[in-house]
Amino acid sequence: MKTPPEDHDLIRWLDDEMTAAERTAFEARLAADPVLKAEAEEMRQISLSVRSHLPKEMPVPHPDFFNSQIQVRIEQMELEDRRASARPAAAGSIFSSLWMRLLAPVAAIAMVAVGWMTLRTSTASGSVVVSVYAPDPKVQATAVENVDAQATVLLLEGLEAMPADQNVAGLTVHHAETDSQLATTTLYDGAGQVLLVMGKDARNQPLIFSHGSPRG
Amino acid sequence: MPASPASDPDEVEDIELVKRSQTGDMRAFDALVTRYRGRVYAMTYHLVQNETEAWDLAQEAFIKAWRAIGSFKLDASFYTWLYRISHNVTYDWLRKRRIQGDGEFDDERTDHRVAAGAEAVPTAFVAPDVAMKRAELGQRIHEAIAQLSPDHRQAIVLREVEGMSYDEIAAVMGTSIGTVMSRLFYARKKLQELLKDTYENAT
Repeated sequence: MKTPPEDHDLIRWLDDEMTAAERTAFEARLAADPVLKAEAEEMRQISLSVRSHLPKEMPVPHPDFFNSQIQVRIEQMELEDRRASARPAAAGSIFSSLWMRLLAPVAAIAMVAVGWMTLRTSTASGSVVVSVYAPDPKVQATAVENVDAQATVLLLEGLEAMPADQNVAGLTVHHAETDSQLATTTLYDGAGQVLLVMGKDARNQPLIFSHGSPRG
Repeated sequence: MPASPASDPDEVEDIELVKRSQTGDMRAFDALVTRYRGRVYAMTYHLVQNETEAWDLAQEAFIKAWRAIGSFKLDASFYTWLYRISHNVTYDWLRKRRIQGDGEFDDERTDHRVAAGAEAVPTAFVAPDVAMKRAELGQRIHEAIAQLSPDHRQAIVLREVEGMSYDEIAAVMGTSIGTVMSRLFYARKKLQELLKDTYENAT
């Protein structure tokens, strides 16, 4: 078994971290020790393979959404920071849990319609749509919030007409689950029944797979 | 390897974008995100071996970078600084996973949906049998990397993918150069063991 300094010599030789004199001396050792030479050669092969198969840069899935989500999360955090600094610690939130329950279905339905629309909801201090994002430049998404009415209206201009049997309006979404493998999001009602399953078609456009089918 | 500061036109532009970001210019920061998201994502992906987690961690790194950009002194390249943040975010995540009892032989991490070998295949035409062998080797390498401990995996990724020197790896990992060399040695020994039949069959 080699001693640690010898291990380090082999590693430093592989990684070209030796001085010229050290390299010459180590290569003389390699020439005199076939076992060490074979190990060095195998490690070098592995090193080359790892380099060629682990890219330094990789395409980010959904790159536009990646960027927009960062902005949304930053805006949300800054909004929360401002709220936290603006109100006394003991004061209650102006947003009630009812407000959150009201907004959640609106947000979920908007995501059905726009696909990768970006919505951000707070889990701690209220809920508000701070940004919307539509990947299709032909679709314009706008959120209009009315605190008095306790409602947010999402305007989606440029969408193709939705079939009349897709009764999106009026759904009460309890929760959503995303399946990353199938790239689908399923919306459930309070009883755990499937309301909608949404995904994307071959043109990367939003697609509703089913409506009202049993869970599973 | 992280670029040296202000040594090329791109880096000069980074500095300009950073300065604008420091004044709160979100568009400038978005340009930095676009420029470096592929590298940050590759790093997080190699370390956590999971597409979804890597995507989230890369986002987290950029958000932390935005929150801290006011304190960035422009004394290093933006990417070096961003890389350290990304590394810390990812390392914290790996540490929490370890504490929560997720072993390093987590099957989920080796269950790749992406053809691992395809990521680095040159766009030039290669014969189908060569491409297949290459993809198989790529898959084997990804699986072997996933079986390394987080510390060993990190050392290998920083060295082989990022091309960092021992000094830089030690700085990023917060350890000594001797420890870096030991980790690289044992990581390579482990890879040698895991990939032994691959190389034996190839010869």
